[in-house]
Amino acid sequence: MKCWLLLLALLLGCSSVKESKTLSENIHIEVSELKLDNGLTALIVRNPKLPIFSLQFFYKVGGKNEVPGITGASHFLEHMMFKGARRYGKNTIDFIIEGSGGSTNAYTTNDQTVYYENLPSSQLEKILDIESDRMENLLLDVDDFNKEREVVLEERKMRYENSPRGQLYLELMQTLYKGTPYGRSVIGDIPDLKSVTREQIYKYFKRFYAPNNATLVLVGDVSISEAKKIIKNKFGPIPSSPSVEEAHKELKEEDFVPKITTDVMVARKGESPNPLFMLAFGSYKAGHPKGYALDVLSSIIGSGKSAALVNQYIMIEKPVATSMYAAHQSLDKSGFFFIGGELVRGVKLPEFKADLQKKLMGFCETEITARNIQKIKNNYLVDLYGGLDTNAGLGSFLGERQLVFGDWRFYKEELNMYEKVTVEDVKVACKEIFAKPSVFVSVWNMHK
Amino acid sequence: MKNTLSIALLTLLSTSAFSSSFLDSVKRTKWGDLDVVLIEDSKFPRYNAAFYFQDGSINDPFSGATQGAFDQLAAGTSKESQREIAEFFDFYGVNLKHSVTHEYSVYSVQGLVKDAGPVMGKVCEIFNDAQYPQKELTSYVSRAKSHLKNLVTSHASLADRIFRQLSLASTPYSTPVEGTLAGFDKLTPVGLKERLNELNKAKKVLYLTGPSDLSEMKDVITKTCRWSSETSLKRIELKKPAPQSAIYLIPVPGANQAQIRIGRYITPREIQGKYDNFSFLSGFLGGGFTSKLVQELRVKRGLTYSAGAYVSMQRDYGRAGIMTFSKTESAAEAISLVRDVFQDVTAQKFTPEEFKHQQGHQIGGFSFGFEESSAFLSQIMLYDHQGRDLEELVKFPEVIANLTLKALSQANLEAFPWDRLTIVVVGDKSLEKSLSRIRPVRVLNYQDFL
Repeated sequence: MKCWLLLLALLLGCSSVKESKTLSENIHIEVSELKLDNGLTALIVRNPKLPIFSLQFFYKVGGKNEVPGITGASHFLEHMMFKGARRYGKNTIDFIIEGSGGSTNAYTTNDQTVYYENLPSSQLEKILDIESDRMENLLLDVDDFNKEREVVLEERKMRYENSPRGQLYLELMQTLYKGTPYGRSVIGDIPDLKSVTREQIYKYFKRFYAPNNATLVLVGDVSISEAKKIIKNKFGPIPSSPSVEEAHKELKEEDFVPKITTDVMVARKGESPNPLFMLAFGSYKAGHPKGYALDVLSSIIGSGKSAALVNQYIMIEKPVATSMYAAHQSLDKSGFFFIGGELVRGVKLPEFKADLQKKLMGFCETEITARNIQKIKNNYLVDLYGGLDTNAGLGSFLGERQLVFGDWRFYKEELNMYEKVTVEDVKVACKEIFAKPSVFVSVWNMHK
Repeated sequence: MKNTLSIALLTLLSTSAFSSSFLDSVKRTKWGDLDVVLIEDSKFPRYNAAFYFQDGSINDPFSGATQGAFDQLAAGTSKESQREIAEFFDFYGVNLKHSVTHEYSVYSVQGLVKDAGPVMGKVCEIFNDAQYPQKELTSYVSRAKSHLKNLVTSHASLADRIFRQLSLASTPYSTPVEGTLAGFDKLTPVGLKERLNELNKAKKVLYLTGPSDLSEMKDVITKTCRWSSETSLKRIELKKPAPQSAIYLIPVPGANQAQIRIGRYITPREIQGKYDNFSFLSGFLGGGFTSKLVQELRVKRGLTYSAGAYVSMQRDYGRAGIMTFSKTESAAEAISLVRDVFQDVTAQKFTPEEFKHQQGHQIGGFSFGFEESSAFLSQIMLYDHQGRDLEELVKFPEVIANLTLKALSQANLEAFPWDRLTIVVVGDKSLEKSLSRIRPVRVLNYQDFL
């Protein structure tokens, strides 16, 4: 408990601690908020340590919003957003940002697309102008569109076609979430990437890349009043999307639940001399109370050199695996718990799977101890410090919560949930999750 | 572009002020025999202690010895088992890392200040008393060999490994730090203890960041760690790399994309006094979306997803290189384009605007190197290792602002003379035909590099 209070006291030096019983009452991060009439949410934190800032745009759009025929649209747009907008013209955005010493990039997940820039403080107005221009007036030039299609296909080869680990993950998602939007590939299916048109992408862009589907997070050496003034000025006139709310409402949670009813095994031939595997179980969406116990469970069995999986399969005289991991992935509409690793040659996969599932059930009795739960809480604390050390880290921390939970303050709730997790909670979650139908996927060059 | 330069000049004024003040915050002291470089950072109640050992894999009696000595450091002492040691560090949330280079090694400990005493006590204990038990070592060797045999699953990592071995073939730096299949078989408890003993005697410096009161850590280290700084790294003098006449093609199964590495090793004499010129060159060629290679390969032609360039130096050797990839059908075109870019830069066929743009990029980006204290300390560590004055770090923006177009083309000529560059391609065997149009192709087996 002491550790957590200490953490909260030191968040960015903008926090304060009072003697109080609940963590949430002890937290105060100085975030200045702004909500424009068109729906744009802005969060601003001042950190004057260096004359720099981090700006991040969280758009609530990702792989789950795509439909067959345009899979990969959000990721394709991630590339095209750097290709130019009306006021700034073709291929100038990167030059302006990097020419002033900044850096920029973006990433796309099943649920969101995030664009970020780290820049010297003198560039605040310029970058907000650029962001507003591409939100309102993205060019989507046809020549650039077709060249970038090739780049996306190369990226796909690098991440998936030439990577057995990438193949494993794609196969897992496609099997576990078969028939749901999470079963589609975020980077896109090859036929879709080859055939998708500029018009299809433009229509998708106009629907989802609007102020009422975005959160702006700004952290660094900026004047809050000045930043608010610029944000209002640049983004205020941009119209909101009339159909984005409806698009989100159309996505029903029940349509994202894994439909498997019995254990499924998938063997995929791939260029890995050692078998790679993932074993997954459907779980809960982000913010579900039971998810926190599963987070703790995944760390107990899979994190650090003293973790149960490491002790059982790796740090033994005749290792069965060269690496093992466990994680609980919470998505916007669903979630899954998974274990994975690289096995040594000669391991028989069906026998390994049976042994693993038996041991996992055994862990529910042997590994869930008060000391292990405290150990995980100590580790979370250290990780949190690391995550909040930079402007970009804090921006990401706040933006994620605003986007997923609709309120950046939700981290208080999360901290309290972790604080309250008990041995019994984790034991119950353990027995429940490992009794569910599972998907076991392997990639190996010995598979047919 | 005018705007870019004025921004850079404005930034220059502000960066010189804060970088000097950051340098003032670096305190050099001694804890017993141990040199300590300290930056106070009270943002969080945690510390980051990076122990620099002036000893690396160049002193390996066989490949992987130094890496193994660090990897298995916590495998057991005369008092505690591997599991007990792991449990101790994990309970305190301690993040332990180590990295071995040819010339030096770094052992990093990151944890909470309140636990610094007991944690550092345990660190000293394992350095004093690591036993490298045979049972744990057998397991380690088995895993390491299995993992290495599976390296073919990562074409990029495989290309990096093979590129080192071929581009540094005539030097003592060609052996992979992480070990080889043959080297792993030579690891014994006695051999690893001997290697650790040598490391314990090597010159050391602690690079530390955290709140001001770390007296408990100081007490523990000075009283418990049986470290000395008796030995320092022997100097090695390299000759310039020999001309290259072939492209090395390393076929891997099932590839529809080729990993490309182009470069060479460089000697200290070549880079002496021109570190910043080469740093500017690597940024100009491959340091961002607007760099020359990314523009030519990705933006204009869609041949790749990424392209990067580096010119990096340790103390007695350095490396200049290009990393990219392309689909099988366009790999040869990508290599030819890299060659054309080298030729153009050497012939000063780039615009003053492109040059000024890169100046703006490097001067404006200078501040970000100070955002994380641990990253700043890593920079200082490298400067110290190279024997460079930290004042050079402060002057970097000024040097870049005064750089000339000619200096850039000269740096390119010196770093990337085409006839001395080793070219490695990892991909489908069908590449042989298209690559042979650039240079004669030598086909090699990837398993010979494991």
